[in-house]
Amino acid sequence: MFDHFWDIDLSGEVISSLIVMSIIIILSIIIGIMAHFQNPLKRPKGLLLVAEMGVEYFDNFARDIVGTKLPGIGAFVMAIASYLFLAFIFGLTGLPSPVTNMAVPLSLGLISFLGIHITAIRFKKWRYFKRYIEPIPVFLPVNLLSMWAPLLSLTLRLFGNAIAGWALMSIIYYGLDNLANLIFGSFLAYGWSSLFIAPIITPVLHAYFDLFSGLIQTVVFISLTTIFIGQEIPEDDENLSSTIEISRKGGQ
Amino acid sequence: MDTYLAAAIAVLGVMPSALGEGLVCAHAIDGISRNPEGASKIRSTMILACALVETTAIYSLLISILCLFKIGG
Repeated sequence: MFDHFWDIDLSGEVISSLIVMSIIIILSIIIGIMAHFQNPLKRPKGLLLVAEMGVEYFDNFARDIVGTKLPGIGAFVMAIASYLFLAFIFGLTGLPSPVTNMAVPLSLGLISFLGIHITAIRFKKWRYFKRYIEPIPVFLPVNLLSMWAPLLSLTLRLFGNAIAGWALMSIIYYGLDNLANLIFGSFLAYGWSSLFIAPIITPVLHAYFDLFSGLIQTVVFISLTTIFIGQEIPEDDENLSSTIEISRKGGQ
Repeated sequence: MDTYLAAAIAVLGVMPSALGEGLVCAHAIDGISRNPEGASKIRSTMILACALVETTAIYSLLISILCLFKIGG
């Protein structure tokens, strides 16, 4: 039964994605075990300290945008952010970066798309379907089309960034290889000359196209996701409760 | 030949995006010079806005790369 199990033809990006996921899962399990056996009265050290700072940062980040009504959103945001950032910088290892395959940004976009609509259904119940016939029922096809705009924009932003960085780096590697061949090719065997120029120049460009661009795109992706999700939560109740609180305080 | 021309025309779309990015940076500098205490907050918002403005340029770049490599027909 399992004779042909490993014959599945996976593309390199999917295998990189699986590696990134397993790195995150192993780290999470290690941090979870460390947090379980940690004495809460003592100061956390090393990996646990970093993890606690990250959790606190993402919790605050999500609470600033979404509010207190959706307590689990910090974990969701942190999971997406860690996967996306690791996937972007995974290209530094020389293996293909997972984001350069269209399937990975599309899945991330689908996750946030589903998150937006499930949150809307959860908080607005039947009033959710009212948005498709606003302002008049004639707008139904237009609204049905514009529903997909966030998914498309999130997906194409990530994919475009990753593929543009990859294409530019490929062009630069190709050009520098040719340049090195022109300069050193006369007295070195073929293949050895390419060791000279590219390794000196490309690390800076890798730092920009992989690290900086990856960080910025991660921030943009999680900001947009949390903002879109936060839009779907009605703020009326919160205002009402705060006004009640203020009036109660005024009454005292 | 046609595909190269198409790629060249598609990548023209980065021009307005660059203008928009310049506007974002100019207004951010205005804000910082008026209110220097808010510099760190304005800077992080500016980087976010720049990335959002860049998106349209990236769409053009993506289309031009797709044209060059003849992906999708």
